[in-house]
Amino acid sequence: MPAVVANDLTDGELIRRTGDGDRGAFEVLYRRYSRPVFGLALRRLGDRGRAEDAVQETFASIWRAARSYRPERGPGAPWLYAVARNAIIDRSRARYEPPAEAPDEASPELGPPERIEAGWTAWRVHRALEELSPNERAVIELAYWSGLSQSEVAEYLGIPLGTVKTRTRAALAHLADQLEKEGLG
Amino acid sequence: MTDRPDFRELVGDLPDEERARLERVHDLLIAAGPPPELPPALVEPDLDPREENVSFLPRRRAGFVLGIAAVVGVAAFLGGFLAGRQKEPFAEVFKVPMQGTAQAANASATIEVGKADAAGNWPLKVVLRGLKPLPKGQYYEMFLTKGADKRAATCGTFRVIQSGDSVRLNAPYNFRSFDGWVVTREVPGSGKHPVLLTTKSV
Repeated sequence: MPAVVANDLTDGELIRRTGDGDRGAFEVLYRRYSRPVFGLALRRLGDRGRAEDAVQETFASIWRAARSYRPERGPGAPWLYAVARNAIIDRSRARYEPPAEAPDEASPELGPPERIEAGWTAWRVHRALEELSPNERAVIELAYWSGLSQSEVAEYLGIPLGTVKTRTRAALAHLADQLEKEGLG
Repeated sequence: MTDRPDFRELVGDLPDEERARLERVHDLLIAAGPPPELPPALVEPDLDPREENVSFLPRRRAGFVLGIAAVVGVAAFLGGFLAGRQKEPFAEVFKVPMQGTAQAANASATIEVGKADAAGNWPLKVVLRGLKPLPKGQYYEMFLTKGADKRAATCGTFRVIQSGDSVRLNAPYNFRSFDGWVVTREVPGSGKHPVLLTTKSV
């Protein structure tokens, strides 16, 4: 019955219970984090199949290693992020990359530290999105990533334009609440 | 989608402080980019309680979850019943607290969920506090919900005599399809179903 207890338990408590063999807690954790982990893996690995493998490895590691989580050392999300990052790095090392000559010019792409920071931020934003109600999440995803205007979102969802704006404001406010708790936003 | 949505169009007019706050989130959303949809094989972890190792973890099996996502079985009505069975042993697996809504602010309850049988019936023992006895013809009903307390599947009906009563109900469903429980007051013919208890924050 994991979904029912989801709202009541912190990430850290879920990890602790997972360490005790509580499959319900593990499932809640999976629901909270599978999409952010997949997003992170896809972003880093650029391949859906390998990203899926990284997700599986991440959660297999969580299941095996949850006992090692120490709540006094910090909240659950960073611990889980570290597990995911290690799984993704392992997966990326599994690919053979032929040595390449160093380019003459600096790459415009982010360097490793910036990529890690950007990945961590995106992870937390995606994680916060998972906490929105389906109605609120829909207006955000349509507004930001589908290319629809607010009027088109209203038409697509079959709701008044005013409702779309109200939901969007509420969704952004809820995201702000969550992200501010984590020092973002 | 590469166009940055217009923040003012999204939120309209707002006080400066709130606008700045939401605009920070707006910028984070744009920087984060869209979360990808999970492939079907990853939507649900394959939790088979009979297995003892991590092999229950999701595997890449197309269409695996689509079948699971559906509620198992049809909404089965199982009437709740009172005191007679209260003293029978009940092997609780976990508990879920319920709180009273504005319409029953002094009420609360605890749902004790037992171990599911082989057919997928989850026995429930609900200990009720502060719910009033109802007039003849009316009854309480417990539902599993999906989003915003939307009633999705009944777990049975019951009446109470006094605070502290417990009732035995049943949930023949896949819990993964739901996000909470509510108890409503049912007045036949009224078309209204006021929520008195909920597992969500009120």
